[in-house]
Amino acid sequence: MTDVFIPWLCAGIPFAGALVCLAFWSDPYRVKMLAIISSVISLAWITGVANQLPTPPDGLLPLYLLPIAAVVSALGQPVHENHRLSWAMTLVFLGLGMAVLTSRNSVGPLCLISLMLIIMFLLYRHHTTLWPISWWGIGSFGVGVAGAALSLAAGPPISSVASLATCAVLLPLMPFHDGYLTALTRLPGSLPPFIVLLLPVLGLHGLATAMPTMPNEFVAVVSLLALASALYGAIKALAQSRVRLLVGYGSVSFFSILWWFVAGAHTATPRAAVLAGAVGLATGGLLVAWQVIRTRYGDDVDPQSISGLAAAMPKYAVLFSLLGLAAMGIPPFGVFAGFMGLLLTAPPSSTIGLFIALTAWLAASWYIMQMVQQLLFGARRPDLRYADLRQPEFTSLLIVVLALLALGLAPTNWYASNQVPNKTAAVEQSLAWNR
Amino acid sequence: MRNDVLLSLTLIVPFLLLAAAGIVMIGGRTPRFTRAKAAAYLVALAFLGSIGILTLISSQGPVTVRFYDPASVTAFIIPIGFYVDRLSAVMMTLITGVSTIIYCYSTSYMYQDGHARRYLALICLTDFVLICMVSSGNLMMLFLFWQILSYLLYLLAHNHIHPATLAGAFKTFTLLRVADTAFLAGIALAYQLYGTLEFQELFARAAGTPITLSILPGMDISGTTAVTFLLFIGAMGKSAQFPLHLWLPGSLFAPTPVHALLHAGIINAGGFLINRLAPLFGMSSTTLHVAFVIGTLTAALGATMMLAQNDIKKTLGFSTIGQMGYMIMECGLGAFSLAVFHLIAHGLFKATVFLNCGNVIHKARQEPHFPHTDHADEGAGFSRLTWSTGFVTTLFIPLLILLVTHGVLRIPLLESQGTVIILFFIWITSSQAILTLTRLRAVASWKVSVIMLLTLLFIVFVYLFAVESFTAFLYPNPDEVASYFKTADLPDWLFDLIVVMAAFMTVLGWIYLYMRAHGRTIWMPAWIESIRIRLYTVFLNRIYADELYQFVGSMTAQLVHRIDKLERGWSR
Repeated sequence: MTDVFIPWLCAGIPFAGALVCLAFWSDPYRVKMLAIISSVISLAWITGVANQLPTPPDGLLPLYLLPIAAVVSALGQPVHENHRLSWAMTLVFLGLGMAVLTSRNSVGPLCLISLMLIIMFLLYRHHTTLWPISWWGIGSFGVGVAGAALSLAAGPPISSVASLATCAVLLPLMPFHDGYLTALTRLPGSLPPFIVLLLPVLGLHGLATAMPTMPNEFVAVVSLLALASALYGAIKALAQSRVRLLVGYGSVSFFSILWWFVAGAHTATPRAAVLAGAVGLATGGLLVAWQVIRTRYGDDVDPQSISGLAAAMPKYAVLFSLLGLAAMGIPPFGVFAGFMGLLLTAPPSSTIGLFIALTAWLAASWYIMQMVQQLLFGARRPDLRYADLRQPEFTSLLIVVLALLALGLAPTNWYASNQVPNKTAAVEQSLAWNR
Repeated sequence: MRNDVLLSLTLIVPFLLLAAAGIVMIGGRTPRFTRAKAAAYLVALAFLGSIGILTLISSQGPVTVRFYDPASVTAFIIPIGFYVDRLSAVMMTLITGVSTIIYCYSTSYMYQDGHARRYLALICLTDFVLICMVSSGNLMMLFLFWQILSYLLYLLAHNHIHPATLAGAFKTFTLLRVADTAFLAGIALAYQLYGTLEFQELFARAAGTPITLSILPGMDISGTTAVTFLLFIGAMGKSAQFPLHLWLPGSLFAPTPVHALLHAGIINAGGFLINRLAPLFGMSSTTLHVAFVIGTLTAALGATMMLAQNDIKKTLGFSTIGQMGYMIMECGLGAFSLAVFHLIAHGLFKATVFLNCGNVIHKARQEPHFPHTDHADEGAGFSRLTWSTGFVTTLFIPLLILLVTHGVLRIPLLESQGTVIILFFIWITSSQAILTLTRLRAVASWKVSVIMLLTLLFIVFVYLFAVESFTAFLYPNPDEVASYFKTADLPDWLFDLIVVMAAFMTVLGWIYLYMRAHGRTIWMPAWIESIRIRLYTVFLNRIYADELYQFVGSMTAQLVHRIDKLERGWSR
C-alpha cells in the first residue's frame, strides 16, 4: 500500500501546489511563494521517504535535486504577472518529473510523454523576434514522444532503441540536441533554469534502464556519436556570443561526455547522476545569473556591452564566478566530482576517446572563462546603472553554489549504495588501457 | 603527547591562514587596516607552527591525518587528508616564512589601493592553498589544490580593469589548465593501473606491479613512464617550462609582492610535485630524460631571453624561468633533493629581489641618471692581477671542488653522472658570472682579489656541505638517492659529450674574454656577426612565442567560427 502511495504523493505535492497557485492567480507574489513552498515541501517529503523508495540504478540523487532546482529557478525570477505561468508550470513539470523517477509501471513513460507534449505546446506558443519559433526543436521533442510511445508499445530490441532516442532528446546528444537547446532558449520565465536539470536527469534515468540491454554494436555507435557530440558542443560554445546559447552548447558538450562514459560502462551509475545533476545545476545557476543581467539591462543584452560588474556588484561577481568555476569543472564542485568519479570508476573505453573527452572538458575553461571575464572584469561603464543582487536572487544563486559544493564534497554513499571497485578490480581494469 | 602536538599543528597551520583570509575579508571597511595587521599575526603564527612541525617531523617521522577511508578513495571524490613528511615540512616553512614577509610588506605597499582588502585576503588564501597542497595526503587532494591555485593566479593579477593585465591573467589560466588536464589524465591513469591514489601505496604497487602499455602498434611504454610523463606535463605548467612558460611573462602586471610570492612559492609547485612523487619518477628513466631535456632547454632559453630584456620585471621573470629550468634539469638528473635546495635558495633570493624591485622602479622614475651605466668605464685598463684571480676562480677552483666532493664528501662521482653534470653546469654558470664581474669591475687590488677568492671558497664549500646535509635530511636513505641517480643515467656518449662541451665552452669563453680585454682583435666571420644580431632580436622578442600563441589562438577562433557557419544551426 505504502509502495503505491509514496510515488503518487511525490508527484501529487507539486501538482497540488500548482492547483493552489490557480486560486491566487491574481497575486504574482503569492504564486511565486506557493511555487517555492511546494518545492520545499516536495524536498522535505523526498528526504523523509527516500529510504522507502526502490533505488534505481542511477540512485536517488535526482529526486533531491529536482525540488532544489525548482526552488532556485522560482526564486531567481523577479515578481511579475508575466511569470505566473512559468512558476505554475515549474510545479507541473516537477510533479511529472517526480512521477517519472518514482513510478515503476507504465505511468512513468506516460508522464514523460505528457511532459514533452506540454513543452512542445509551450515552445509553439512562446517565441519572440529574438528567438523565433524553432520547428527543429519542436520536431526533436516529437521524436522523443514517438520514441517513448514506441518503447511502450513495441517489444525488445525496438523498444530499447526507441527508448534510447527519447533519452538522446532529453539528455542532449547530437543530432537530437535541438529540443534541449530550444527549450533552454525559448521557454518562458523560470522554466529554462529548471528544465536544464529536469530533462537530463530524466534522460539519464531512462538510459539507466535501456543501456544494459543494448547490443554492443549499437553501443559502439552511441560512443562515437557521444565523442562527436562532445567536440561539437565545445566548438559551438566557443563560437557563441549569446550567453544562453553558449551555456546551452557547453552543457551539451558535458552531457555528451556523460553519454560516452555511460556507453563505455553499459550502465548509468549514481556517479553518472552526480555529473548530470551537477552540470544541470551549474547550467541552471548560470541561466539564473544571466537572468539577473537581463532583468537589469533588457532581454538578450549583448554581454560584450557589459563589463566591470566585479567592482560594482561584488555579491553577484563572487557567486557568478563560483558558478563559472563549477561549470568548467574546477574542484571542489560537483561537475569535477562527477567527471572525476566516472573517470576513476568507469575505465575509459579508448585512449583516443579519453583524449577527446578531456579536450572538451578543457575547452570549457576557454568559453566559460571568457564569458565570466567579459561580464565581471574590464572597465566600469559610466552610463550603466549597477545594482547588486536582491535578496531572492542572492539566495537563489547561493543555493546553487552550496548544492554544487555539496555534490563535490559529499560521499557518494549518501545518495547511492553502490561501492567503488576494489583495488584488485582496479588493477584488472587497467587492461582496458592496453589498446 | 608530542605526536598529538604534531597532529594539532598539522591542522592548525592551514587553518590559521584561512582564518587570516577571513579576518581581512569579512566585516566592514572602516577598521580594515587594523584587521589586516591582526591577520599578519596569524600568518606569522602559521610560520612559527611550520617551524614547530619541521622540528617535530625531524625527530618523529611523517604524520598522516585522514578524514576518509583510504580503502575506498573514491567514496569521497575529494578525499581530504594530510601527509606531512620532511619535504612537506620544509616547503611549509619556506612558504609561510616568505608569506609572512610578503604579507607584512603588502600591508604598507597596497595601503592606498582601493581593493587592498581583496588583495590581502587572496594572498592569505593562496598561502592556505599552497600549504594544503604541499601537505596533501593523496594525489587527488594535491590535484584539487593544484587547480585552485591556477584560478588564484588569475585572481592575483589584481588590476582587472587594465586590458593587458586581464589578457595576461587569461593566458595564465588557460595555459595552466592545459597542463592541469595532463595532470588529471595522469591521475586517472595512475588509479586505473594501480587502484590507489595514496602516495605510499601507489609507490609500492607501482614497484610491485610492472605494467606495459601499448600506445600504438609496436610502441610500448611502461605504466610508470606513462603516468609520470603526464604528471610531468602538469609540473611543467606550474613551473613555467618551455613551451608552457608563456604565462609567466604575461602575469608580470600583477603587484610586485604577488611576484615575490609567485616566484618564491607558487612556481616551485612543479619541483615539489616531482619530489613528492620521487619514488614513482625514480622508476622511469624515460621521463627523467625528458625532464632533463625540457629543463636544459628552458634553462638555456630563459637565461638567454633574460639577458636581452630591457625591463626589470621581465628580466627577473625570465631569470626565474631559467632557474626553474635548472631545477627541472636537476630533477631529470635524479638530484631531487638538490632541486628542492635550489628552489628554496632561489625562492628566498627572488622574493628579496622582487620586493626591492618596486623601490628600484620608483627610484628610476624619480632620478633621471638611475640606473647608472657602468659601461662607459669599461675597458679602462687591463689588470694582470684581476685576470689571474679570474683564472683561479674559474679554472682552478672547479678542479678543487671536484677533488673535495670526490675525496672529502665521498660523493661517488664516477658512478653518478648527474652530480658531474650538475657540477659542470655550476662551473659554466659561475664562470660566466665571475667573468662578467671581473670584466666590469677590474679593480687591481690584492685585497679585493684575496677577499673575492676567500668568499668564493667559503660560499662554494658551505653550499656543498649544505646540499649534502640537506640531501641526507630529505632522503635519509643513501641507497634511495643513488637509485635515482642510477635511473637518470644518460647514455655514455651523451654524458661524455655534455662534459666535453661544458668544459670547451667555459675555456673558450675565458680565452675570448681574455683576448678582448688584452686589446687583441678577434676575427669573426661576418655571418656569425649577423646571426648574433638576429639572435639578439629574436631573444629580445622572446623568440616570438607570444606572437605564435596569438596566431594559434586567432587561427583556432577562425576555424571555430568557420565550422559554426558551415553547420546549419537550428537557431538560424
